[in-house]
Amino acid sequence: MASHSESIIREPLITGKDITYAQITNDILRPVEKMPGRAWWIGFTVASIGACLWVFAVSWTFWFGIGEWGLNKTVGWAWDITGFVWWVGIGHAGTLISAILLLFRQNWRNSINRSAEAMTIFAVICAATYILCHMGRPWMFVYSLPLPNQYGSLWVNFNSPLIWDVFAISTYFSVSLVFWYTGLLPDLAAIRDRAVGVRRRIYSVMSFGWTGSVKTWQRFEAVCLILAGISTPLVLSVHTIVSMDFATSLEPGWHTTIFPPYFVAGAIFSGFAMVQTLLLVTRKVLGLENYITMFHIEAMNKIILLTGSIVGVAYLTEFFIAYYSGSEYEQYTFLNRFIGPYWWAGCMMYGINILMTQLMWFKSIRTNIAIAWVLSIVVNIGMWFERFVIIVTSLHRDYLPSSWAMFYPTWVDMSIFIGSIGVFFTLFLLFIRVLPSIAIAEVKLILKSSSEQAKKKVIEHGHVDPEQLEFYKESLVVFDSVDTADYEKR
Amino acid sequence: MDSNKKYWKGLEELNKTPEFVEKNKHEFAEPIPIEDVLTGGGLAGATPRRDFLKALGFGVGAVTLAACQKVPVHKSIPYLIKPEEITPGIANYYTSTYEGHAILVKTREGRPIKIEGNPNDLLSKGGVSAQAQASVLDLYDSNRLKSPVRDNTEYGWSQTDNFVKKELTAIKAGGKKIRIVSSTISSPSTLAVIADFIAQYPNTKHVVYDAVSYTGIIQANQNSFGKAVLPHYRFDKADVIVSFGADFLGTWISPAEFIRQYVQNRNNKSLEAKKMSRHIQFETGMSVTGTNADVRMPIKPSEEGIALVNLYNAISGTTLPGSKKLNNSNADKAITIVAKELLAAKGKALVVAGSNDVATQILVNSINSLLGSYGTTIDLDGASRQYAGNDAGLVEVISEMNRGEVDAVFFLNANPVYDYYKSKDVADGLKKVRLKISFATYADETASLCNIIAPNHYYLESWGDDNAIEGYYTIQQPAINPVYDTRQAEQSLLLWSDNPVKEYYTYVRNNWDKNLMAKGGLSGQKGWETLLQTGFVKEAEKPAGTYTFSHDLNAVAQTIIDHSNQIAEGNKMELQLYQSVAMRDGKRANNPWLQELPDPVSKVTWDNFAALAPADMKKWGYVDGDLVTIDANGYSVTLPALSQPGQTQGTVSVAVGYGRTSAGPVGLNVGKNAFPFYSLRNGTFQASAPATLKATGDNSPLAQTQTHHSIEGRNSIIKETTFKEYLKNPASNSGKDEEHKTYSLWDEYDHPAYNWVMAIDLNACTGCGACVVACSAENNVVVVGKAEVMRRREMHWIRIDRYYSFNDNGEGGTTREKEIAKLEDLDNVRVVYQPMLCQHCDHAPCETVCPVLATVHSSEGLNHMAYNRCIGTRYCANNCPYKVRRFNWFNYWNDSRFDNYLQNEHTQLVLNPDVVTRFRGVMEKCSMCIQRIQAGKLKAKIEKRPLKDGDVKVACQQTCPANAIVFGNANDPNSEVSKALKSERTYYVLEELDVKPGIGYQTKVRNISEIEA
Repeated sequence: MASHSESIIREPLITGKDITYAQITNDILRPVEKMPGRAWWIGFTVASIGACLWVFAVSWTFWFGIGEWGLNKTVGWAWDITGFVWWVGIGHAGTLISAILLLFRQNWRNSINRSAEAMTIFAVICAATYILCHMGRPWMFVYSLPLPNQYGSLWVNFNSPLIWDVFAISTYFSVSLVFWYTGLLPDLAAIRDRAVGVRRRIYSVMSFGWTGSVKTWQRFEAVCLILAGISTPLVLSVHTIVSMDFATSLEPGWHTTIFPPYFVAGAIFSGFAMVQTLLLVTRKVLGLENYITMFHIEAMNKIILLTGSIVGVAYLTEFFIAYYSGSEYEQYTFLNRFIGPYWWAGCMMYGINILMTQLMWFKSIRTNIAIAWVLSIVVNIGMWFERFVIIVTSLHRDYLPSSWAMFYPTWVDMSIFIGSIGVFFTLFLLFIRVLPSIAIAEVKLILKSSSEQAKKKVIEHGHVDPEQLEFYKESLVVFDSVDTADYEKR
Repeated sequence: MDSNKKYWKGLEELNKTPEFVEKNKHEFAEPIPIEDVLTGGGLAGATPRRDFLKALGFGVGAVTLAACQKVPVHKSIPYLIKPEEITPGIANYYTSTYEGHAILVKTREGRPIKIEGNPNDLLSKGGVSAQAQASVLDLYDSNRLKSPVRDNTEYGWSQTDNFVKKELTAIKAGGKKIRIVSSTISSPSTLAVIADFIAQYPNTKHVVYDAVSYTGIIQANQNSFGKAVLPHYRFDKADVIVSFGADFLGTWISPAEFIRQYVQNRNNKSLEAKKMSRHIQFETGMSVTGTNADVRMPIKPSEEGIALVNLYNAISGTTLPGSKKLNNSNADKAITIVAKELLAAKGKALVVAGSNDVATQILVNSINSLLGSYGTTIDLDGASRQYAGNDAGLVEVISEMNRGEVDAVFFLNANPVYDYYKSKDVADGLKKVRLKISFATYADETASLCNIIAPNHYYLESWGDDNAIEGYYTIQQPAINPVYDTRQAEQSLLLWSDNPVKEYYTYVRNNWDKNLMAKGGLSGQKGWETLLQTGFVKEAEKPAGTYTFSHDLNAVAQTIIDHSNQIAEGNKMELQLYQSVAMRDGKRANNPWLQELPDPVSKVTWDNFAALAPADMKKWGYVDGDLVTIDANGYSVTLPALSQPGQTQGTVSVAVGYGRTSAGPVGLNVGKNAFPFYSLRNGTFQASAPATLKATGDNSPLAQTQTHHSIEGRNSIIKETTFKEYLKNPASNSGKDEEHKTYSLWDEYDHPAYNWVMAIDLNACTGCGACVVACSAENNVVVVGKAEVMRRREMHWIRIDRYYSFNDNGEGGTTREKEIAKLEDLDNVRVVYQPMLCQHCDHAPCETVCPVLATVHSSEGLNHMAYNRCIGTRYCANNCPYKVRRFNWFNYWNDSRFDNYLQNEHTQLVLNPDVVTRFRGVMEKCSMCIQRIQAGKLKAKIEKRPLKDGDVKVACQQTCPANAIVFGNANDPNSEVSKALKSERTYYVLEELDVKPGIGYQTKVRNISEIEA
């Protein structure tokens, strides 16, 4: 057993005393098997009111036309594509966690991947609805699919980044869904085994007849690895293609080669922030502090810091290139972000995304749950403004000053955006109610090697370098789920 | 011999084993259960008979029920007997006349859908103003009166006739006065009808007045030369033009004609001949003419007279009594320079003034006389008949009415209750008149106070003629049967005066047979038919006589100075009234095309406003849209303020023609009526007055189609040079002589047969906006209304961008917003107009980004738009550097919130059937009138000949009075457009993007002398 345990200078991934496999199942399935608490009901009510608002505003748009939004002859995209890119970006963290971190054997992902992947799927749903809603004639959306038709050679335009987008988003959604569901299978079987009656039948169907035999597990592992392999390029490709919606245009402020890496970094940045926003609440409300520990929180904050800094560098590069290019339109566009009528949006974008994330350099901030939660929300506000600035402030003053115009959102614009958040949270709250929000099987996998109790056992066995032990103990101080007094006794 | 041989396929068959026999029985089909059915066991079979009948019964019932749903049926009734001259799908053109211009009326299947210029029109050679273009829409206006009205109830024509005739007989017997009040009538036949009427009722007098009056000029000519006429001005013969507040390119007398004349000395052809006229404008508010001037001097209305006195002094070398320097040193300096230039161009100079003051116009006459303009740039013999109003006449009638001396009054094309400055006097006077008859087509402000409205035909339904200038007679013929139960006013007058000629058509015909046809060398039926085909007759041109002014000017100068002092009284703001290019005197206020036509200078739609100098706005802390109450001449209105560069400081300009209170739903209460600000002085209406301004504290935003007014130093958009530079190097500042190496990612398109391109001469375009209305009429472009324009969603396929630059004694002027904000003096503003429409780029950015190939390139160099394929992602519009694509935000055709005009089944008749209307959610844009290209190609094909240059004219090009737009095939090196694009002045907007636009622009050239530059 000792050979399986890892070095104690690594912080534990599961905390708590006397955690057994059964205990894990009990803890994680508690919200699924019991009636939800008050917090859930309050959250669900608010979220579903938001979702109803979304349904109303979208129906309104479909009934009267896109004119109900604040767009005009100059600004043809605004909150719609801002919302779309924002949601797609948020989705990216899930894929990164489930695919890339799996390939890199980052075991800490095991506690957060399930929720993150669910978040991905719900975020992509929100993004996809934006694509549909923003069309002038959504009932004709089939034209954007390369379907055989009676018009002879009429095909979609493979030169158009919007077509790449259709492929990218649909691939992304289907692969994410399959990957997520595949991962769910053993856990669904666990619920099935404990459930009775109708629930048992439903979960039985959903678990695809999982038997838990060695062969099943072996195949499960293989499929997950293959899907991770398929998903990995998607982490990079999807937002690259989304960025090309802008980068391949002529529009100053959009026509930029730096966009793909810059957008991918921004996507992961906002995605991790959203995971943080969700999990900090979830672990508290569902009592999962032992599985989503301070280590996880800090690790995610570090990724936020890294990607946020990449985004910051991208901003500076853009400014430099605008200056260096000598293109007056480009220069004006970037100047306009500060001195134009939307200066406040520019300040939100640069202020939050560059300055606020730099606070994460401080461990005390990274490990402070309240601050981390606020910052995670602030990051997504900043990222929303980033997309708003890129889209609206570029469009509203481009080449011909005669057509310069302002964009003012209407109540429909706002309702659809707020509503989409409602839809997202409705789906997420339903998810934690009916499916395990942490991958049970995967957490069990690391119980024997990386949990606090495993480490305690190692310490009890002696043979630990006292310097390393001291280091380990110090690292535990910030954990809100660990009673450090335990270690003092020894 | 029969063979008994038996063939078998296998041993089983040979041996007939029981299995084989059994199998063989079912080899091909299952047996039909006939036996089962006959034995009654069939009811248990697979499809029992009863079930089948049940299903059949239900099916038939369901299908029958479904078929009962009423499917909308659009009846399209073919011609039972096809009229000989009408072929469905082929347009017919009829000659007619609009305000004295010879025009062509394009009709489709018997309904007029478009006004086009008659290329042989003496006045504008095929150019048509925005008003004329828009006039076709009013034909179908469902708010026109549909039958005669007596005391606000519908009345039959025969009853009306009986009533009127009985009354007239009684009035004739009573001996009291009968008055016919009309705006200027230049139709010889109408005038003859009125003369006949007067002969029948001798106590009748015909009183002519115009809402915007030219009495000052007419009386000045009476005083100076004994000829009470409006002269025919010849801007084409003038090398130096000096205008004092005359907006001759926008609204003054005959703008469409003057644009053509004016541009002749400034367009590419003239420049290539090294010739360009010089134009100096002194004015108060920024007019279209002012924006086109080489030098523009803002002066106050009170300074205009003094400036003219000083100009006279400088030219004549004398000093009139009362002369004094202006408070405005720049204007003073300009007067001296202008005097020198005018003298140098003696015989080729022209001074015009917009004032309606007789004394001022006498002074202008004397200046023109000194400059030798009579006989060259001013023709008093071939005079204009476009305006003949006498202000005093109307005043007299109103006082007669108020004194109770008038028993009958007729209003023909006149609406004094709206446009007379003392509206209440008219209304009160009318109460004392026994018989009040209006021939108005709408129940306008005056007509609604009349006992009888005998609605006139619209001009497109009427016979008639016109005589805009001496010796030029145009014929008017109906292009459609009357849409409503109306009757031509002349016909009514003929009937009421018991004229022996009962039909107005016969009357016109007789008149032409007797008097007019001979002038054009025509006679008889053949001559009449020729006339109807050519549209006009013209007398041989007579050389204009020279006139010399020889009167004493001392008293005149004194009157002018007094008038100036009166306006400048009390150091108040000075109010100037003007006509807006779109709305003019307000007669067409119910025309949505005109309401949505942006004012060329301010770009405001759907409103009038108080134009204030930016410096004044800043001084008082006003922002655009702040409501200010203007108080002058005992009348006040509250209007939104607009910061108008070029507006003279200390003045405010307000357009008349707005604020109709009885004009139909479109024009109702749009803006505020400014006519009551007029005053009567020395027998003429005066358009300026001292005024006070007060902010109300509220703000009412204006709907402008352009809100950023400078080019931000982006000189790849607008390229301009001076005439001096141009003479040195014709490619000056056009970039034509610069070489660039370009690299392209894209394949070049082949244009095997045609490559449709366009050339636009920025030096010819005056910004008048006729093309915008022509395009709307041709391409069924919707009107979206004020609220949507405010949201920047107007749908015009062609727009005219207007940019200001401020001359800060620097080269090229200041064009950056930030620097402009720092300038003290915003008076010295220069303006350039740029018609902007789809550039039909060969490397079109819109084409690459459309996901569904809804916008694609044609083999003829056009950028097509397939509405049916469009799903409305709007990426094309975002990616268009020229921002010329227009999105259908709403279903404008079926959304009750946009019930401006086109949801009405009458008005829909104006639609061009060759152009599909667009549904909600699709993008649209200029198609280069592809329907016209197609029609031209088909015509050439039928005639078995290749398409010739000029066969296809796009709507904007066709209507442009300045001929600023040239369209054609670039593959033909001899086409007009190829030649135009070869000009050294040609440049392409945003050329550096290498989108290869199909429209070449030619640089703006300003004739600025060293001193001002």
